[in-house]
Amino acid sequence: MAYSFYPGCSMEATGKAYGVSFEAINKALGLEAKDIPDWNCCGATVVANVIGDFPQQAITARNLALAEKNGAGDILVGCSSCFMNLAWVNERFKTEPEFAQKCNEALSAAGLQYNGTLRVRHLLDVLVNDIGLDEIKARTIKPLEGLKVACYSGCQTVRGVRRPDFDDVERPKVLGQIVEAMGATAVPFTHAARCCGGSQQFTNVNMIYDLTGDVLEAAHQAGADVIVTPCPMCHMNCDAYQKKINQVKGRNYDMPVFFITQLMGVAFDLKVKELGFEHNIVSPQKILKRFGL
Amino acid sequence: MCAFKYNPAASREVYNLESGKYAQQCMQCGLCAVTCPARHLMDYTPRQLFKMLFAGEVDKVLKANTPWLCTSCCLCTVRCPRGIPIIDVMHSLKHYHFEKGTKAPVATLSKVFFDSMMKRGRVFELGMTNAYYMKSGFGAIKDAMKMQDVGMAMMKAKRLPLAPPKKVKGLGDVKKIYDKAVALAKEGH
Repeated sequence: MAYSFYPGCSMEATGKAYGVSFEAINKALGLEAKDIPDWNCCGATVVANVIGDFPQQAITARNLALAEKNGAGDILVGCSSCFMNLAWVNERFKTEPEFAQKCNEALSAAGLQYNGTLRVRHLLDVLVNDIGLDEIKARTIKPLEGLKVACYSGCQTVRGVRRPDFDDVERPKVLGQIVEAMGATAVPFTHAARCCGGSQQFTNVNMIYDLTGDVLEAAHQAGADVIVTPCPMCHMNCDAYQKKINQVKGRNYDMPVFFITQLMGVAFDLKVKELGFEHNIVSPQKILKRFGL
Repeated sequence: MCAFKYNPAASREVYNLESGKYAQQCMQCGLCAVTCPARHLMDYTPRQLFKMLFAGEVDKVLKANTPWLCTSCCLCTVRCPRGIPIIDVMHSLKHYHFEKGTKAPVATLSKVFFDSMMKRGRVFELGMTNAYYMKSGFGAIKDAMKMQDVGMAMMKAKRLPLAPPKKVKGLGDVKKIYDKAVALAKEGH
């Protein structure tokens, strides 16, 4: 299976651990995901505030056009915010002919056009529907027995296309299935698809304290050993802001936060050096030790 | 005497925004209000905002922090029984407010994000953060000092590279697409 991969800006910076561990999984599973040549930023959830939705969507559409032209296959996205933008623009191309025409008019300024032939797939979708749970189970060399996982899918992961797509929009189960295929236990987790506060760290940090605080509390209450997520924003807020939340809210969480690709790397017995754990802020050691790493 | 005055002209201006028309579909059920994870921080719930738009109280809407606290988590949007794409309405309100020169912190952040994106075609997260604090003035820098420990931990974990990402080869194309799209958006929706 081959895919056109859209890494997004964060996989090279704040979500570095995701980028690194994705590459390890990409190789191990033979995903053949190759970067869309010369991809550009999708604008996240903020650029529309400055330029309006349509211009942001046209800029996003350049990536769809480049991927289609390159012909490497459907688009695979790891970052949930990028997924939301790319998948939604793709959806509009397929369901709104007027939009498609207007967007192509904008793309034609750069000699590009998009015919809407591709699907935009989230990593979780590809893992469960293309790779399959059986394959993930078969690949598992170190079953994660006894590990209790809070599966934090994140909001834009499951609501990116605004209706049920590969998972339920409010009670996601795919991430839990993947985790259980590797032998771990997905604990019942009320906040699996709740917002962490997104990119409000600088603009309204109380929102991060409240919303991410709720997520951490829910994971704690559920008896989880670790939070696992496929979203760079969820990861950053739960991991990098955890100590701050402890201070502000008078808590004492010591909850490691893994990208799903990092946990898969552990189960698949890949080289731990290739899983980007040096980028984790809450120490992952107590989890890694349990599996002899 | 009626203390409440409708201002249909003001309503119309908002309904004519990119996704403004959808606000008219609101039936005031309040599901968005109980759904929004940021509701406890909002001046008005989305439902109240739609009611105010209906009455033409646009000045009040523009003073509200409601749209600026929307994180596009999409929960209201998937739940709305009238199928209103609430996050799109919020984007349009924010854009409208931005064009009117708002000083809302998220507007400043959005602008530095956009500038960073258009400079290289990809966002330079550290550079954007610095630009945000430079633009936001003393109060924001004081806030930044309080967050120093988070920043340091991010740096230590090598999650905020000092060097910007490589420039996209087709940056000129990105700009051309942007210019054309802005022109098309102005022509009408």
